[in-house]
Amino acid sequence: MPPAPPPGAEHLLRAAVRDPEWRDAVLGDLAEEYARVGQRCGVHRARRWYWRQALAIATRVSAARLLPGSASRRPWRTPALDVEPGVRLTWLSDARYALRALGARPSLSAAIVVTLALALAANATVFSLADALYLRPFRFAGVDRLVVVSSASERDPLADRSSVAPADYRDWVRESTMLSDFAAAEFWDPNLSDVDVPEQLAGFRVSPGFFRALRTEPLLGRTFLDEEAAPGRNRRVVLSHAFWTRRFGADPAVVGRSVRLNGEPHEVVGVMRPGPSVPYGAEVWAPLAYTDEEWRERARGFLLVLARLGEGRTLGSARAEMNAIVARQRHQFPDTHARRDISVVSFTRGMSDGGTGPFLGVWQAAAVLLLLIACANIANLLMARGTERQHEFAVRLALGARRWRLALQVMIEGAWLAAFSIIVALPLAAMGVEGLRRGLPTSVIRWVAGYEFLKLDVAVLLMTAALGAAATLFFSLLPALQASRAAVSDTLRQGGRTTTVSRSRRWVGTALAAGQVALTLALVVGSALILGAVDNAVNGVVGFDKQRVMTARLTLADGPYADQEPRRQFVARVLERLQSMPAIESLGAVSFLPYAGNSSNRPIYPEGVELTAAEVRPADFQRTTPGYFATLRIPVLEGRGLSDADRANGRQVAVVSRSFADRYWPGQSPLGRRFKIAPDAPWLEVVGVSGDILHDWFMNQRRPTFYRPLGQDAGLTLAFVVRTTGNPTDVAGELRRAISSADPDQPVQELLPMEQVMADKVGGINYLAKALAAMGGIALVLALMGIYSLVAYLAARRTQEIGVRIALGATRWQVIRLNVHQALVITGLGLTMGTALALVLGRVMAATLYGLVSLEWLPVAIMTAVLGLTALAAGFLPARRAAALDPTDALRTS
Amino acid sequence: MAAMPPTLPYLGEFEYAVLLAVMQLGEDAYAVPMRELIEGRTGRPVARGALYTALERLEAKGCLRSRMGDPTPERGGRARRYFAVSPLGLRALRSTHTAFARLSQGLEALLEES
Repeated sequence: MPPAPPPGAEHLLRAAVRDPEWRDAVLGDLAEEYARVGQRCGVHRARRWYWRQALAIATRVSAARLLPGSASRRPWRTPALDVEPGVRLTWLSDARYALRALGARPSLSAAIVVTLALALAANATVFSLADALYLRPFRFAGVDRLVVVSSASERDPLADRSSVAPADYRDWVRESTMLSDFAAAEFWDPNLSDVDVPEQLAGFRVSPGFFRALRTEPLLGRTFLDEEAAPGRNRRVVLSHAFWTRRFGADPAVVGRSVRLNGEPHEVVGVMRPGPSVPYGAEVWAPLAYTDEEWRERARGFLLVLARLGEGRTLGSARAEMNAIVARQRHQFPDTHARRDISVVSFTRGMSDGGTGPFLGVWQAAAVLLLLIACANIANLLMARGTERQHEFAVRLALGARRWRLALQVMIEGAWLAAFSIIVALPLAAMGVEGLRRGLPTSVIRWVAGYEFLKLDVAVLLMTAALGAAATLFFSLLPALQASRAAVSDTLRQGGRTTTVSRSRRWVGTALAAGQVALTLALVVGSALILGAVDNAVNGVVGFDKQRVMTARLTLADGPYADQEPRRQFVARVLERLQSMPAIESLGAVSFLPYAGNSSNRPIYPEGVELTAAEVRPADFQRTTPGYFATLRIPVLEGRGLSDADRANGRQVAVVSRSFADRYWPGQSPLGRRFKIAPDAPWLEVVGVSGDILHDWFMNQRRPTFYRPLGQDAGLTLAFVVRTTGNPTDVAGELRRAISSADPDQPVQELLPMEQVMADKVGGINYLAKALAAMGGIALVLALMGIYSLVAYLAARRTQEIGVRIALGATRWQVIRLNVHQALVITGLGLTMGTALALVLGRVMAATLYGLVSLEWLPVAIMTAVLGLTALAAGFLPARRAAALDPTDALRTS
Repeated sequence: MAAMPPTLPYLGEFEYAVLLAVMQLGEDAYAVPMRELIEGRTGRPVARGALYTALERLEAKGCLRSRMGDPTPERGGRARRYFAVSPLGLRALRSTHTAFARLSQGLEALLEES
């Protein structure tokens, strides 16, 4: 008994040969021969032999089944005999014929498929991101009827939506008829204590109707009762599903228990269902409980207001009504409301980060550019192919084919190409989306809703497929129309000999290739600008030294730290414990860490200047310990820094930044000058001038800032900065222990090296810049491919002409010049258009990305030069090849 | 080709070779010796898959008939499929042969190997 053939190969054959008798025969024959091969060459080679045979037979048999009539009879056929009327005139045969036509030019077909697939995948990926993070970040029932009402301008995308004064809110609830289910929420990030590791939670105080407005029900327990919105009765809390699971192990018994928030016990009354945590990823909610006095506050606005459009009401009608209400309020309260704005926007828009839209917009625009480049490329390839096939079409027309059938034929080929592209694009897009999911920095995930929806969904797939089909059909239609218009006799008279391409055809091709160069230049410059901006934000001149600095951010709870003294003692205890550590070079505390995303400002009233209310300008306000400047290495330029001697009962002093001094006392020494932060506040004396720092990466400018000693003015928001001799993370544990030993209930919000704080902040845009650069790279390859193929094609069409020229004595260089001329025209045109486009794009980006990106000439010039050179090289290669032609060969070609 | 009666199936070159091989082999006409015979006498390689598809096609056209033999152990317990040329196949063979013969009339001196 001989050894059995490889079972895998037998399976394959069994699957390929359907008829059971045939299957037996084929498997038996192979087994018989396998035994013989095994005896001759050994088992190993016999197995390989069997696999080869099985694969070959399976392919042949399947092909014969799928494409009947394609096998050995073909060499005997002539096209005229091919048509059996009434039988072959079917879509199916057309489709099959188209497939064969594509297979006849495999490299061209592959180039088209890959080009289109790349562009489609890029579009699908970016659209998935835009859909999840911007278009539909919230997907719960009735979200389309929810609106956000705020006292911020509708036109300002970065406006703070939490801007409604309590008294205004009450007026609106009473007066609005278009909106119902009003709800208000106020930021409230309480410190959770009385647990093993205290932490700061993301939370909101909300009016009792808040959950009703959202149409959400609790999973356990209840939400708030109307009477709980009163001071003294508001120590209740509702937990988010995520928080309940994370912190309490999803224990249902937690309802009714008490948790300590900001040092006070709160009774857990309910747990919400899983789902989006509104607003801004809230983990806990407590009732909004104002005294009547607090409800009368009209000047300061800090409430986030939601409402629901009434039955049959539109956003427009609600907007009109709210505008009327606020117009009346302006009249009624001229002191506070003279310049008050109003906006009513959809919940989705109101809740999304103002930066997300423009960022994703830039990205999506880049993806569309890429698609355009790909389409231009494909159009050129298909048109080249169309021209070559004109002879074939002419023959078929002469034999009686109808023109519409030829057009149909070409379109079916286009449909096949689209189908293949989509098949290739789908896994690429899936990979892209997965890459986006993994690569999205946590700093972005935290602030942008909808991350959980980031996946390639059916809608995106369909959109991609439609886009792909439309693009290919459109571009295959051009040569089809050309073909169906062609005069048969003319084309046949040319006899299929290679001839120079018609002038109009050459111009269309040139324009398309130049368009690709232009779009690519714009894309590449755009990504270079953003990369430059990111680099500048992190590695540029920021005014402080980010290296070897560990930071810890926290917020003291309002209750136990209501007074200044405990705050000061807390800071002193933390610093004291760390002071003696040898790994620590210097340390300090500040209210707002640079790049951490928060800041505070105060209006400035300099001494001796009468300012009207409109002229008063704010400056950034920081409270620091004396060690802060040394730790971040912010230079003290004039006078002195702050010192421990600046005590509460002493002279009230401040250090101001260079830009602060320049704004209020230009050309003079600010030392000894005084200013106030409110008309009735005490004077503050300037004792020193510090260097400017970049506090916010977003605003590429140094903001006037004044620093007050913590000893005289201590706040609740704190950041400790520690300069280490070694790795900053080495002291992280010590820093945390110092904080918990100063107050065991005090959570640390964030414990990160300064470099990480900065990297996190620019993580989102860095990510964007890298993705843009990747798209720029793809675009560059496509554009070069486009130039190469066009020049090669044009040169090929002129083979005969070139042969004649060489035969008549043209030099190699003259022939190269002849062909390179086209590349020169393409590059010149493309770069001219591209530079203009890049400049416009740069302006647009500078305008939409909040001054982050500044248009600089150098990158534009460098990119233009690089692209120009590579474009010329792409044209030169095929031109040189054409010039290497042997004239006798060239003339023989027909 | 006009000489060919319209009802007769048209034979491709390879099909012609396969039918001839079947006739040469007589009782022992199954795929393995068939392939060896064609390769041996024409000196051209024959893909197994091509042979199977040609056999199937010829059977479908009615030029060949087949029967299953007895299972044998050296074939892993599988039967051989034996082929025989049908009357229609024979007529098609004749017609093709005649067509070639007519085409080559007068060229014998050139075509015969000396």
